[in-house]
Amino acid sequence: MKGYLQIHDPLKPKGQVVGIDLGTTNSLVAAVVNGKPQCVPVDVGNALLLPSVVHYHQNGGVIVGRPAVEQLAAHPTDVIKSVKRFMGKSLGDVETKKLGAYQFVPGSNGIVRFQVAGGQPVTPIEVSGEILRQLKRRAESHFATKVEQAVITVPAYFDDAQRQATKDAGRLAGLEVLRLLNEPTAAALAYGLDKGAQGLYAVYDLGGGTFDISILELVDGVFQVKSVGGDSALGGDDFDRAIVQKVLDARGLANPTPSQIATLLQAARAAKERLTDLDSTTLDFEGAPFPVTRADFEAWIEPLLKKTGVSVKRALKDAGVTPADVKGVVLVGGSTRVPAVRRYVAELFGQEALHDIDPDQVVALGAAVQADLLTNEARKDEVLLLDVIPLSLGLETMGGIAEKVITRNSSIPTAQAQIFTTFQDGQTAMDIHVVQGERELVKDCRSLAQFRLTGIPPMAAGMGRVQVTFRVDADGILSVSAKELSSGVEQQITVKPTHGLTDEEIEQMLLDSIDHADDDIRNRLLIEQQVEARRMLMDAAKQLAENGDLLSVDERRALEASLSSLETLMKTTEDHDALKAAIHETDTLARPFVEKIMNRAIAKAAVGHKLEDFEGHAADRLP
Amino acid sequence: MDYFELYGLPRSADLDVKALEQRFRELSLELHPDRLVGADAHARRVAAEKTASLNEGVKVLKDPVRRAFYLLKLKGVDLESEQAAARLQMPMDFLEEIMERREALESVKAKRDLASAQAMAEEIRAARDAQLSQAKAALGKDDVPAATQALGRLRYYARFLDEVDAFEEELLA
Repeated sequence: MKGYLQIHDPLKPKGQVVGIDLGTTNSLVAAVVNGKPQCVPVDVGNALLLPSVVHYHQNGGVIVGRPAVEQLAAHPTDVIKSVKRFMGKSLGDVETKKLGAYQFVPGSNGIVRFQVAGGQPVTPIEVSGEILRQLKRRAESHFATKVEQAVITVPAYFDDAQRQATKDAGRLAGLEVLRLLNEPTAAALAYGLDKGAQGLYAVYDLGGGTFDISILELVDGVFQVKSVGGDSALGGDDFDRAIVQKVLDARGLANPTPSQIATLLQAARAAKERLTDLDSTTLDFEGAPFPVTRADFEAWIEPLLKKTGVSVKRALKDAGVTPADVKGVVLVGGSTRVPAVRRYVAELFGQEALHDIDPDQVVALGAAVQADLLTNEARKDEVLLLDVIPLSLGLETMGGIAEKVITRNSSIPTAQAQIFTTFQDGQTAMDIHVVQGERELVKDCRSLAQFRLTGIPPMAAGMGRVQVTFRVDADGILSVSAKELSSGVEQQITVKPTHGLTDEEIEQMLLDSIDHADDDIRNRLLIEQQVEARRMLMDAAKQLAENGDLLSVDERRALEASLSSLETLMKTTEDHDALKAAIHETDTLARPFVEKIMNRAIAKAAVGHKLEDFEGHAADRLP
Repeated sequence: MDYFELYGLPRSADLDVKALEQRFRELSLELHPDRLVGADAHARRVAAEKTASLNEGVKVLKDPVRRAFYLLKLKGVDLESEQAAARLQMPMDFLEEIMERREALESVKAKRDLASAQAMAEEIRAARDAQLSQAKAALGKDDVPAATQALGRLRYYARFLDEVDAFEEELLA
C-alpha cells in the first residue's frame, strides 16, 4: 500500500504564479484561474488598482495604496508616488530635477535615494519592492496560498538600468521574477490568446507619463515582436498640462505659484475625464469658471497626438510593414479613453482599435497569461513569446563615437561579439564604456557601465586584440564581458549596470527585511488602524459641525465621549486589536446618526438638482 | 555550424525568406528556454545560447546585404573586421566620389535639409543595389576577389545610408 498518501498530487504546485503590472500611477496583480486571467483585489474596498504610493511612517512602518495617498498632503516628503519614474536613475538625472517635492540623498553607485521619515533613506528599488510586497500579500490572502513567482511588466522603452532595478525590486519583495515582460507585449498576449488570432497586431499604449508602440506578429504559435518604439516622456499628464497652459494664458498668469499649478492640474485632469463623455465642461479656478469644449481640448492635444504618430510610423518602418498589414490595433493605458486618441489611432491604421479589455487591466492580465505559459506544463506548447530590445547597445570608440554592437529591435535572447585592437605600443589596459541609445555621439546616449580590462601583455600597437561580448537575456538585461585574445591569456569581466544595487546590497536588504518582518507587520497593522481612526475622527467632527442638530443632547454627549476616548487610544496604544475594537465601538454608536445624515442628504438631493451635477462632483473626487 | 546549416538551408546568396522565417519559428519552438518548464539552470543556459544564435542567424540571413557579407566571410574574407577592410585597396576615383558625396551630405545636414538628404540616399541606394547584384553574381561563381571588391564598395554606400537614417532620426527626435 505504499504511496497511498502520495497519489494525490505528484506535481504539487508551488503556490500561485501571478502577473504584475507595476505601474507609475497604479499597480495590479492578476493570475490565471480555470484557464482565464483575472485581477485580484489589492486595496481598501477590494479595489483592483493599487495606487503606486508608499508612505514611510516616522515609527518605521510602511503603508501602500490608498491609505498612503491620504497622507500625501500631510507628509509630502515621506509619501513616495510615481516611483517608477526614478527606477534606474541617478541623482544627476533630469527626472530627479524635474519633480521637486522629494529630498534626495546620494546612495552607493550613484543611485538616487529618498530621505523619508522613520529610518534610512530608501532607494526607488526598495519603494517599488514595498508595492510588490503588498501585491504579493494581497494575492496570497486572495488565493490562500503562497505567491513566490511572478512575471512583472515594464515599459517596452525601459533601458537596461531600469529593467535591472525592476528585477531587483521583485527580489526584494521575495518574488522570483520569471520574466520581465514588455507592457505592450503583455497587452497583445491578453488579446491574442483571447481571440486565438493569427496575424499582425499593433499595440498603442498611452499611459500617464509614457507612450509605447509595438508591432507584433502571431504565426503558428509564435508571438514575435517585430519592432517597438515610443516616447518615455509623453502621456496623459501632458494633456492636463495643455489645459492648464490655456487657463494660465487666459487669466494672464505668467508666474503661477506651485500651489496654483497643483490645483489647476487636478482640475484639468478631472475636466479631461469628464470630456470623455460630455461635449463641454467647466473647470473652476479660484472661484471663476473656465469653460472647455471637447473640440477645444482636442485642438490643444493635437500636437501631442502627432508626436505619437511619428513613433508609430517609425515602428511600422522598422518592422517593414504598412498600416494595411495590421490586422488589429490594441489600446492600452488610461489615456486611450480620450475619444480624440481613439479617433487618431483609427486614422493612423485605417481601422477601429480594439478596446474590449479594460485598458487599465489588460497589461496585468497579459502578464498573468505569460506567467501561466512559463510554468504550466499543460500549456507550454500553446504559444511562445519572442521579444526584442527597444534601444541599441554599443561601445564608446575613439572621438566619443558610439559604435552599435546590438541594434534596436534585435530579438532576445541575443549575443554579439566585437573585436577591438590596441592602439598604442605596450598598451596593457583598455577602457570599455557601454552605452545605450540611437544617437551617434556617446554624450547623447545613456551610459550603462564603464570598466577597465587590465593585464593585456605589452605588444606592438594593433597586435593586442580584445573581444567584447554583449549578451542580452530574455528579460532584456545586458551583461558584457571582455577578453584578450591574441596572447592566449584570457581575462573576463562581467559588469552590472551603474546606478544599480550590487548583489551584496540586495542580500543585505533581504536579510534586514526578514529580521524586521515581524515588527513590520505589527507596525503596519497598527498604522492601518491609526489611519482608520483618524479618518473616523475627522469625519465625525465634520458631521457634528454640519449636522449636529440631528442629535439629542444626550446622544451627542455619548458620541463625543466615545470619540475622545478613541482619540486618546489612537495616540497612545501600540495594540492594533484594541484600537480596532474601539473603532468598531464608536462606529456602532454613530450608526443612527449616520443614517439620519443620509436621509437628510437624500431629501436635499431630491429637490431640484440635475443628475449631471452629481456626476461632475463624483468625477472631481476621483483620485 | 554556420547559419545556413543551422537553418538547414542551401548556402546561397539568394534565399527563400518565407522558408527561413517558417524554420525560425519551428526551431524557436523547439529550442527556446521558455519551453523548458521546470528545467534546471544549466539546460536553460544552453537553450538561451542556442536561441541567441537562432536570433542572430535569422537577422543575418534575412537581410540580403548581411547575407552577402556573411557568405563572403564563410569564404575567408571578413569585411566586418576593420583590419581586413583596411587592407582592401579601393580605386582612387571611387574614394574621391565617396568623399564628394559625404561632403555634400554634411552640408545638407548642416542646413537640416531632410528632403535633399533623402534624395541623395535614393541615389546611393540604387548604387548599393547594383553592387549587391554584382556581389551575388560573383559569390555564385565563387569569384572571391570580385565579390570582395563589390562588397568593399557596398560598405561605403551602406555607411552613407546609415548616416542618412541617423540624420532622419535626429530630426524626428
